[in-house]
Amino acid sequence: MSAPTLDKPPTPAETTPRRTGRTGLLRTVLRRLATALFVLLCTATVSFFLVRLSGDPVKILLPPDATAEQENVLRASLGLDQPLFAQYLDYLWGLLRLDFGDSLVYGQPVSEILADRLPATIELAAAALAVTLVVAVPAGIFAAMRRGRGSDHTVMTGVLLGQSTPPFWVGILLILVFAVWLRALPASGYGTFANLVLPAVTLAVYSVAVVARLLRSSLIDVLSSDHIRSARAKGFGPLKVVLRHGLRNASLPVVTVVGLEVGNLLGGAILTERVFSWPGVGQLTVEAISNRDFPLVQATVLFFAATFVVVNLLVDLSYSFLDPRVRTSR
Amino acid sequence: MERIHQGRTMDRSRPTRRHVLRTGGLLLGALGAPALLTACGTTAAADRAGNVLRVSQPGDPKTLDPQKQGDMVSMNVLINMFDTLTTRGRDNRLHPRLALSWKATDARTWRFTLRPGVTFHNGEACDARAVAFSIERLLDPATKSPIVELRFVKGVTVVDRLTVDFHTTVHDPILPAKLSLFGGVVVPPRHLAEVGDAEFADHPVGTGPFTYVSWQRDHELRMRAYADHWNGRPAVDGLVFSPAPNASSSLAALQSGGVDLVAGLTPDAAQQLEGYGGVSLDGHTGIRTAYLSLNTLERSPLQDRRVRQALNHAIDVPLLIKAVLGGKATETPALVPRGAFGFDPTVKPFERSVETARALLADAGHPRGFATTITASNVDANVAEALSGLLAKAGVDARVNLLDPGTYSARLTSDNRGALGPVYLAASTVWTMDGASIVQSNVRSDRRQSRWHSEEADRLIDLEELSEDPAERERAFSDLQRLMREEAPFVFLYQIDNIFARNDRPRWTPGSAGVLAMESAEVSR
Repeated sequence: MSAPTLDKPPTPAETTPRRTGRTGLLRTVLRRLATALFVLLCTATVSFFLVRLSGDPVKILLPPDATAEQENVLRASLGLDQPLFAQYLDYLWGLLRLDFGDSLVYGQPVSEILADRLPATIELAAAALAVTLVVAVPAGIFAAMRRGRGSDHTVMTGVLLGQSTPPFWVGILLILVFAVWLRALPASGYGTFANLVLPAVTLAVYSVAVVARLLRSSLIDVLSSDHIRSARAKGFGPLKVVLRHGLRNASLPVVTVVGLEVGNLLGGAILTERVFSWPGVGQLTVEAISNRDFPLVQATVLFFAATFVVVNLLVDLSYSFLDPRVRTSR
Repeated sequence: MERIHQGRTMDRSRPTRRHVLRTGGLLLGALGAPALLTACGTTAAADRAGNVLRVSQPGDPKTLDPQKQGDMVSMNVLINMFDTLTTRGRDNRLHPRLALSWKATDARTWRFTLRPGVTFHNGEACDARAVAFSIERLLDPATKSPIVELRFVKGVTVVDRLTVDFHTTVHDPILPAKLSLFGGVVVPPRHLAEVGDAEFADHPVGTGPFTYVSWQRDHELRMRAYADHWNGRPAVDGLVFSPAPNASSSLAALQSGGVDLVAGLTPDAAQQLEGYGGVSLDGHTGIRTAYLSLNTLERSPLQDRRVRQALNHAIDVPLLIKAVLGGKATETPALVPRGAFGFDPTVKPFERSVETARALLADAGHPRGFATTITASNVDANVAEALSGLLAKAGVDARVNLLDPGTYSARLTSDNRGALGPVYLAASTVWTMDGASIVQSNVRSDRRQSRWHSEEADRLIDLEELSEDPAERERAFSDLQRLMREEAPFVFLYQIDNIFARNDRPRWTPGSAGVLAMESAEVSR
């Protein structure tokens, strides 16, 4: 569920056809939308059948001393006694009407439950994005300016370490250090700023690595170009050169990747929320899976898939729209 | 990458790029904003000043429709907004609640006389019609209720405004006890007809000592004292429930005053809270009873009574309680927990002795012990591992097989009685406080989880389940416990304490079932 690790800016989609003006763009948008819908349909189908392999939700809903007859009655009233294919068609028909069904456990519409949990997830992702930018941008600039020296290697090694450590493990380490040993921050919970710090940092670690590495490499590229040399020749100090001239040119690919990371942050929230009992969509997904709450699992999986599809679509489109090289026919 | 690659030089259409960066900045600013909004504190500080009690338990309610939930966490919250027909007092006896009195008028009829003048929070009268409606709603498959205790109830009739008859398919001696929690909640018929199920679950209306104020899922549920409650106004003005997922967050909440009382602690979690300033721990004997089920139906050493007795001698339950549960449990001699109706104090636990166990095993033809498997849900991993260690001392090689809770419960209730292997660890919460509940599904040979078939036991179960005379039931329970103590179809373990952690504010005593009915609670300001 993570974007390819990029050391280079992504090149504009090779698939982008020759276009002339608006109609071309419109056609691309429509085609991409159709693809996106197809992807979502596949996701819905796969999640529908996969979750049903996990077992019988009635066994979890009812206490162990329920009789077989009581189980059958509940199964029938939940519609789980219908043939699988009939249930599937029913589900698709519901999706067409944007009806995701009712949760088996909570008994209320799945869409309501999702809407309840969404703010916490968005909050966490936004905070993680803020952490990402605050840490990754200076780190990238610093490493690019110190290119090839010890300090560059130190920063980049740290970054690589962050990129290759699983987030739940980072989370557990942070809890151990800051909550258990130092007693400085709460280990879990929701509602105050202090609660937000550890999960946001945990979630941001991977994104920091991606953004910092990309910023470093594109800055290095830019810094060796002609107009930077001339800026240097004018006697500007190195930092000023980087900030005033280099960063401008280096940031387009970075902005793109930050866009992609938003998808990653929303999706990466599952493990992080679980570790910190953060009451968001990720935590809800895990609960739904352990409760075998079929409609809820299907909806959360679809939500994450849709997030990725939409973010990627937007990034692609904005990229082809913003990067002039894409617009000129090759 | 020192050199310039032709294809990678940036285009210089300045306005576009500047535009990109500017909107990018705006977007990021907007995304960062919600993060700052969380900085505002909760209302905990305001509560501390007032007469409000804040309680936390391990989870959040699943729903606030009392007839669509079947778990203790939800019930603990709902019992404060809704009343039940009967209630279990601290003396472990049944007391009147919405019903003033009850009696079996014949073998298949229980007659309940209701308390007059009770109103729901919206003013609607709570009478026989409301009770009949509530039971019918619970039994209606369309309600999809997970509450299973009323399986023998086939209908309710209104006799007069304050009298209802419950009709059962067989005599059900513990029906009044079953109406002390889940099955006995009364909901407002007129209000439900007006607003519908969904709105009712969003804004529950009951007759209970507290009225609903607000609920932010997974954060906090707030209630206010109901001044017109038939039992008088509760001592506290407000009641707040919040979920506390782990011991460290509970500790922080107790110390900061965000929570006054933490319920539902596991012995593990309680040990983590021990010894902190301002936090006291109370343990009360509870009724969640743990045992090992032994499969005597398939060919294995477990078919020999001597082997089953040997396991009981080998497993040093007091040591297990001390070492793994921090002392927060009580030995249970023969499945029925103390405090429940039918518990026989004259039945003594097995003497714990590895030598006796080895001798019995040798008698049964296993001088070098034998190998088996203990299956458990992974939440009970510690206990299962300890049991395996205790058995090893007597030469029994028990491999521990842990399952996720979902798989475990599916296999527990499957029609294959061997689905959880030769030995599995189970526990049951006997909230009806009647021995019938613990032996109901795992002793009588026609029941799903029964793995020991004895005609004598079946006869005794029928006696305790169907007799109308309580003395006769009590005798049947005594005989059954003596029989089980002799035949050892289970390894009898312990009943776990209800553990509470609190700061110095609340004054409240729980009953054996540990239900969080807070109407009697007081807080010092």
